[in-house]
Amino acid sequence: MINATKKWIFLKVSSIILVPLMAWFIINLVSIYDKSYVDIVIFFSTQPSKFLTSFLMIVAFFYSSLSISEIFEDYIHDEKVKSVANKAITTFAIIIPLITIIIIFNLTT
Amino acid sequence: MSNNNPLSPHIQIYSWNISSLISISHRIIGVINIVALTLICLWIALLLLGETNYEYIKFFLQSFLGKFLILSLTWSFSFQILSEIRHLFWDFGYGFELITSKITGLIVIFGSIVLTILIYLYSKQIF
Repeated sequence: MINATKKWIFLKVSSIILVPLMAWFIINLVSIYDKSYVDIVIFFSTQPSKFLTSFLMIVAFFYSSLSISEIFEDYIHDEKVKSVANKAITTFAIIIPLITIIIIFNLTT
Repeated sequence: MSNNNPLSPHIQIYSWNISSLISISHRIIGVINIVALTLICLWIALLLLGETNYEYIKFFLQSFLGKFLILSLTWSFSFQILSEIRHLFWDFGYGFELITSKITGLIVIFGSIVLTILIYLYSKQIF
């Protein structure tokens, strides 16, 4: 299987997972964003929101990394610039969810 | 090594229609949503600063600007959810006819506004 096909399959699988996760997250975000500190910490530090938020971050950043690299493929002409941009977005998509998950798993009221 | 892959022409070349509008909006809103998710990650990180310091963030989120940002985020998430479902239907081979494509494009635009209102009302337990 060529890389482009693998990338397309990863993109579509992550997209199928992302649709219900985004719907779940935005409904809960609107419910809690203006609540007290304790309410918000309880939300992020208890199950199933602890697991689902962590999972959302992994899938969303993975999906974004793939789709933004497609944008780079379409619009960046210089191969060196494209390579650096792809490496930067991949690093960003690994570091941000990783730090967030570590924080979520260390939250206590 | 030179790469002779064709590149997409830039967006100003195209004449606008529903499909192209949704296509470029899907990309722009996807980028906006990942920036928003990064800010949400920052918001989660700021919880580590403790309850006293969180009062400033709570004050901002309860302000008009804070509520406007959350409502805008609800719309951008709603838009991406509907647009993503439209793309998934295409991947299974449905909805390619010109008229169907225009109708589903309009559903994405107006449906995202309706979905935003429904999510907000449901989340705030207004109904």
